[in-house]
Amino acid sequence: MSDDFEKNLRQHLHSEAEETREFPRPLRGRIRDSIARRTRVRMAPQLALTGALVLVAVAVLVFRNPTIVNVVTTDFNKILQPRPSPTPQPFLCQDQSGGSSGLTATLTNIRAGSHAGDGYDRVVFDFNGGIPSWDLTRQESATFVRDASGQQVTLEGSAGLKLVLRDVDLTGAVSTDMKPRFTSIREIAQLGNFERVVTYGIGLTSTECIRVLQLSNSRLVVDVATNGSASTTAAPTPLPTVPPSASDPGPFSCLDQSGGADNGLAMELTAVRVAHQPGFDRIVFEFAPQAGGTAHIPAYTVSRQASAQFVKDPSGQPVTMRGSSGLRIVFHGASGATSDTGSRDQTPNLPVVQEVEQLGDFEAVLSWGAGLSQASCLRTLELANPTRVVIDVQTP
Amino acid sequence: MLMDPTLGRVIERWRAGDRDAFEEVMDRYGLQLLRTARLILRDPSLAEDAIQETFLKAWQRIGSLRDEDPGPWLTRIAMNESISLYRRRHRFQALTERFGRLGGAKHEVSSEARLDLSQALAQLTPEQRAAVALHYYQDLSVQETARVLEVPVDTMKSRLRTALRRLRELTGSEEAFA
Repeated sequence: MSDDFEKNLRQHLHSEAEETREFPRPLRGRIRDSIARRTRVRMAPQLALTGALVLVAVAVLVFRNPTIVNVVTTDFNKILQPRPSPTPQPFLCQDQSGGSSGLTATLTNIRAGSHAGDGYDRVVFDFNGGIPSWDLTRQESATFVRDASGQQVTLEGSAGLKLVLRDVDLTGAVSTDMKPRFTSIREIAQLGNFERVVTYGIGLTSTECIRVLQLSNSRLVVDVATNGSASTTAAPTPLPTVPPSASDPGPFSCLDQSGGADNGLAMELTAVRVAHQPGFDRIVFEFAPQAGGTAHIPAYTVSRQASAQFVKDPSGQPVTMRGSSGLRIVFHGASGATSDTGSRDQTPNLPVVQEVEQLGDFEAVLSWGAGLSQASCLRTLELANPTRVVIDVQTP
Repeated sequence: MLMDPTLGRVIERWRAGDRDAFEEVMDRYGLQLLRTARLILRDPSLAEDAIQETFLKAWQRIGSLRDEDPGPWLTRIAMNESISLYRRRHRFQALTERFGRLGGAKHEVSSEARLDLSQALAQLTPEQRAAVALHYYQDLSVQETARVLEVPVDTMKSRLRTALRRLRELTGSEEAFA
């Protein structure tokens, strides 16, 4: 039976646990090292035994059938002989796209290399889990717009390529800015990583034709011709002079909004993100199903209010956020008590969204508030894989 | 418990020896396990040691994970590691507790010496703290807590009752609930 003491105990355990804000990097390194050590130690005797068995088998074979030596050496020489290289794909002077949708790919590395002698510079994107859906767009300037923030960034060079990768996670080792300063490729910089859409800009010396290769279902290779020296098969298509803007996902409404369904096991809030995009500030609530549950959008309401004052649930304490207007977002059949390890009070200071704070998480009713600099119209989106409720707040 | 398909693919990659997949699992469950271990061990460094050993064992024993969510499986390993690490580091304390029980001594707390919850939790046995952490922090049901700690449900009910009674005594809260 639950009582005040148990409630206090629960709150105490949560606050004590949350003193550990993140999984420590050194601990991750120790675990990685210990696994590598154990793997080596475990494999060493097995490798030695395998090697010994192979040597014994070869010796027996040679003893019983000496002609096998000739066969083996002939085949071995064939392997060592250089193979004729495959017919190279042509460079194309147009935008390109490819990859597979529906993958859970992880970008693990980016490498750049100069093959100026062969007429191109190369950048390679390494993936685990397959090559995700991608678009490569050429542009006549090295100025790009960062995703989410909308800020402009100018890379080295006078032309550019924009690579958009969808449904991609990043490992921490992936570089966010490289300046190889080759003949064609001058700089490679991450432009955005938001909602599993990862964008890179490539600064080029000048507009050049490109060749894209997908290798071993794990490498996306972008070759950029150096000074028009590579062969091309198509005339250049007109290039956009300004970076393309984000597509419009729908109209804004100045009414309260609701959606989702209180459907079975409560969903677990795993992350809350806030960012600016051209024309709106975006608040994203990401959910995951509990073990045994199914993914669904929990029932939610987004209510507009004329002040940034809220009441916490269930304590009833007043809380005043930054701004002069607000949104109260309530999810039924959702909780973030144990699943959401991020901040429960964010002050992103965007054009309209000034603060986002959790107001309550009790009995599977999860409520958050947003302090706004002004009353604004809204748009809500319900997205899957992962399950997300997206609230776009229109900016001036 | 069933897995969502995305997680299932990660586990399959882990089974195939993919360390990136293993690290994805570590990302997903590591923090929660570390926090729970810290609640049991009352020491951040020991908690990290327990979680390091947990993930190392998980890496070695991935073959024993059935087609199920790895969360309870990892939690079980982490709880066993935490309890046994606590026992190893507090052997002397365990000995004195045993002698104390044989002598019939009971740690009485006067109203002047009431402890706060944090100090009171430190007075519980690691098994009791594990039960309390799983039930009240991870919000597992009594049945789920019993399953993770591999004890019968009735034993778990009794363990939680005893732990709560002890916490109330130590914090001086028992009067209100007598």
